[in-house]
Amino acid sequence: MSWELVYRATVFVAEEMGVALKRSAFSPNIRERMDHSCAVLDAKGRIVAQAEHIPVHLGSFRVGAQNALRWLGERGVELEPGDMVALNDPYIAGTHLNDVMLLAPVYVKGNLIGYVVNKAHHVDVGGPVPGSINPSARSVYEEGFLLPPVKVVRRGKVEEDLARVFAENSKTPSTAVGDLHAQIAANVVGARRVEELAQRFGLEALLSGWERAIEYGRLMTLSELRELEGKEASAEDYLELPSGDVRIAARVRVEGGVMVDFAGTSPQLPYPINAVFGVTFAATAFAVRTLMEEDVPTNEGFYSVLEVRAPEGSLLNPRKPAPVSGGNVETSQRVADVVLRALAEIAPERVPAAGSGTMMNVMLGGEWERGYWAYYETVGGGTGGRPGKRGVSGVHVNMTNTLNTPIEMAERSYPLLFTAYKLREGSGGRGKFPGGDGIVRAFRLLRPARLSLMAERFRRGPYGLWGGEPGREGRATIRRRSGEAQLMPSKFSIELEAGDEVILETPGGGGWGGMGEQG
Amino acid sequence: MSVAVDVGGTFTDFVYMAADGSLRFHKRLSTPRSPELAVIEGIAFLGGAEEVVHASTVGTNALRGQEGLELPRVGLLVTKGFRDIIEIGRQNRPKLYDPFFEKPRPLVPRELRVEVEERVDFAGRVLTPLRAEEAEEAARRLEELGAESVAISFLHSYANPQHERRAKEVLLKRFSYVTASHEVAPEPREYERTSTAVVNAALMPLLSRYLQKLEEGLRELGVRRLYVMSSSGGLVDVREASERPVQLVESGPAAGVVASAELARALGIPDVISFDMGGTTAKAGTVLNYEFEVTAEYEVGGEAHHGRIVKGSGYPVRFPFIDLAEVSAGGGTIIWRDEAGALRVGPVSAGADPGPACYGRGGKRPTVTDANVALGRLERLLGGSMELDKGAALRALSELGDPEQVALGAVQLANLEMARAIRLVTVERGLDPSRFSLIAFGGAGPQHAMEVAEELGIRSVIVPPHPGLFSALGLLLADWRFEARLPFPADLEGAFARLEEELAGKAGEVDYFVRYADVRYEGQGWELTVPIGRPARLEEVRRTFEEKHLAVYGFRLEREVEVVVARAFAVRRRRKASLPRARREGEVRERGRRRVIFREGREEAPVFLREELPMGAELEGPAVIEEYDSVTVVPPGWRARVGELGELRGER
Repeated sequence: MSWELVYRATVFVAEEMGVALKRSAFSPNIRERMDHSCAVLDAKGRIVAQAEHIPVHLGSFRVGAQNALRWLGERGVELEPGDMVALNDPYIAGTHLNDVMLLAPVYVKGNLIGYVVNKAHHVDVGGPVPGSINPSARSVYEEGFLLPPVKVVRRGKVEEDLARVFAENSKTPSTAVGDLHAQIAANVVGARRVEELAQRFGLEALLSGWERAIEYGRLMTLSELRELEGKEASAEDYLELPSGDVRIAARVRVEGGVMVDFAGTSPQLPYPINAVFGVTFAATAFAVRTLMEEDVPTNEGFYSVLEVRAPEGSLLNPRKPAPVSGGNVETSQRVADVVLRALAEIAPERVPAAGSGTMMNVMLGGEWERGYWAYYETVGGGTGGRPGKRGVSGVHVNMTNTLNTPIEMAERSYPLLFTAYKLREGSGGRGKFPGGDGIVRAFRLLRPARLSLMAERFRRGPYGLWGGEPGREGRATIRRRSGEAQLMPSKFSIELEAGDEVILETPGGGGWGGMGEQG
Repeated sequence: MSVAVDVGGTFTDFVYMAADGSLRFHKRLSTPRSPELAVIEGIAFLGGAEEVVHASTVGTNALRGQEGLELPRVGLLVTKGFRDIIEIGRQNRPKLYDPFFEKPRPLVPRELRVEVEERVDFAGRVLTPLRAEEAEEAARRLEELGAESVAISFLHSYANPQHERRAKEVLLKRFSYVTASHEVAPEPREYERTSTAVVNAALMPLLSRYLQKLEEGLRELGVRRLYVMSSSGGLVDVREASERPVQLVESGPAAGVVASAELARALGIPDVISFDMGGTTAKAGTVLNYEFEVTAEYEVGGEAHHGRIVKGSGYPVRFPFIDLAEVSAGGGTIIWRDEAGALRVGPVSAGADPGPACYGRGGKRPTVTDANVALGRLERLLGGSMELDKGAALRALSELGDPEQVALGAVQLANLEMARAIRLVTVERGLDPSRFSLIAFGGAGPQHAMEVAEELGIRSVIVPPHPGLFSALGLLLADWRFEARLPFPADLEGAFARLEEELAGKAGEVDYFVRYADVRYEGQGWELTVPIGRPARLEEVRRTFEEKHLAVYGFRLEREVEVVVARAFAVRRRRKASLPRARREGEVRERGRRRVIFREGREEAPVFLREELPMGAELEGPAVIEEYDSVTVVPPGWRARVGELGELRGER
């Protein structure tokens, strides 16, 4: 039996868990945006195969799985056949509170042979604001409820008491419990499939196949890195707060692997832009991964080649209870930018200039005759110019890849009238290979509403490379009904009147190479 | 006489029913630059026909950029402020980790997108009227810019098409080819509707010229009727096909599923999976209770991941499509080792030229066909007129290691890949694949079917007669189907009555109507397509929708349901060829024996000729059954029996 067959079959188990989860999830977030990931782990908790659809789960998963197993081990909690634990404590699970993780052991003939695990973004996990991403949080306790690894299934039976607590802490209880059940179902499918593999291939062949698969991941990764051996570089970039810039610094060295050290990064802050270490690891893994061919396995073999360090108590490895919800959506983007900037020095032919670097999170809501409405969207931008070709316009970059909401659907459901949706011409940084253009998305309110924005790159455009110019900064304008226009910062909350227009312009990507070199 | 013609990349297949009820066929090389030539020459060779039924990949090939089928310059007229909807798409990227990714190139370059002042809201109320002079001016500009075909897509035109209609009138004064988005996709979601209109506009000049030439050429040969297979599994006439060519993009693959559904009906097996494996890809579709599954959207030219097209990798088209999963695994798929030494299969294909190493046409890299040759499963093709070079296959495989080990590993990897695609698309719908029968066809399907079935827990495999021509046979078995839709119907029965009236006008005679609706819970971002009864009652729609929702997603909600699109098909039955019976006399005779390698080891397998096997013949695996255009491999543990219609039934 060839190990390749064992490995591919295990990848398919992870994929099928993803289908099962997507299929029975309640929330569009999981179903349409595929904000979930699934994996098969060996008995040591190493990822053998992972199916992931959203980059921020890349690697954060590994941190989460190992933390959870350690946490359980330290407390002497044993996972018996048919047990499953759930957790969302960011300081264990490795991403923000919305990402709920479920982990189940797989037993064959009484022996623990591995685990199946999945993580999915829940729409609401409590806290003062709908959606739980609270721009005003000063601690993690203002971002929702925390679940350490606790048994949600015991010997095949769902712990209904716990499920009820889980549901009633959410502002959308039926969705919360529905998504939780979908996650349980996905792990049940995964565990059963792994047992079937053991039966089909034989336990020994399965386990040695997994071992080979991890080694394979390591070899693939190393072979992709070979020509970069011995190189190192540093880079820095910034996040924006009203009080000033927040520094993120990285030193990257390739030596039998990739070492990334974030020493010199800002200390943690009482704002929800701290990124738990899992997110830092994920964004770093993302940046390194972009150097490689698409089919490098997402498993321990790849992860083991990465060594990520962030000072404890810093923005990228905060101590509890620093708030972390924006760490996933904005800080993760900048971490990827910084690591990529350093990698550009190391592998100039493989790294583009910076992309828009913000998800431009828009949160809108208010009362109207149909009740309370709430609307959330993100807006893509330009990617950076690339060695050999220009950037792409109007897409999500780096750590996210979620779809837009069709205007015709949004106008049907919410009191909005869109006035523009087009590329922001000229926003891509100039250069030999110019950056892609950002997007202009504008709408008028038909009823009074409250608007919140969480964005970045309003003060400093995405960087260019090798003489390419930076992309144009993002911009938010409010044009009052009276005609008066007001330029807004990257993070704010404001009351709007019917007839007011909001114009969002996302950053273009940076240019690659100097203009002079243009053919 | 009615002749079915399936125009493929390499061969154009002709199938017809002779006066004695037997199926006859003819095969000739395709003429990719002018596909109609092979069709006309073939019909002439057969001595003419009364009716020609036709499936073609002209549309898909043009969109994939095939030489000789260049797309025209397409112009696009849009609402002011929304010029780039076609370029932004859904703002996602088709690849997560590849910084060098590209989105599909927009079929309309930015300079050919012209904005006009106009606006309608979601309820169809006009907020800003369209001025005739501005439309005239836009038409003039598009003409100056050299557009040959024009699409119009205004916001909310599905709710009120008045502005699109007016603009079309204006454009028709200057252009022969104009597509208004509400005519091809009267439903909400501006990107998908615009994309559908643009794809239609891009195909219109090409397809209408092609169909016109074909019709003229065939008329001279006495052909009185020409029909084309649409992607939804029904036939349409030339006029409908020329006006809405967007429905032809998956015309060929649809025919195979239609044939499977008809065979399933003839055999009394309600639930089957069709498994069509050819030279470059394998495709699977599901037939539930004798009906093939139709989906509302497809991405043309997209890339597949485990059988499903990656969102944003192609051009979305909102039109009913037979739901197919596709993987890059065919006879020509290349076997290789990656930089870490792992054995890999695909996605690259050796194509028809140079093809597999065993073809002896200069192919050096081993393919799945070479693996089958090395394993002793395949020896010759085309009834022996094409001997395969086993030495060449072994030489190519030995570049990767022990040739037999490599071959066995590669075939198992390919089978796993195909099986998992089938599993994911059935599991996706809440179905258990193990309770289905697998109908295997295409040149390579019967070689792999029983092992693929094992992967899925399927116990029954059916190989129809002439598996290589089965898709073409589907054309002879299809009905006429014309489609129409209405968005957000306020009065459901009224809406269907209107649709049916419109369709009756278009189709002439109608035997029956089929009704569907795309339904969702209010506020949901996606819909499920459900069949609708007569008269259409909201209560019933709700019940059907909730049952399907429960089956597919595993739960129901306490929430209002909403019909997003009402859709009707007018079906006119065709007098169908009945499948010929198998011969009853004859004895089971071994044609030889050869050594075949299976997972279980080497086996001495008897070889049979399929046309010699009478009805009721039973064979124990391991066995190999050869025929003109395919080989059926019966692995150990399987038994094959010849059924009444000449089908081979594998069971274990």
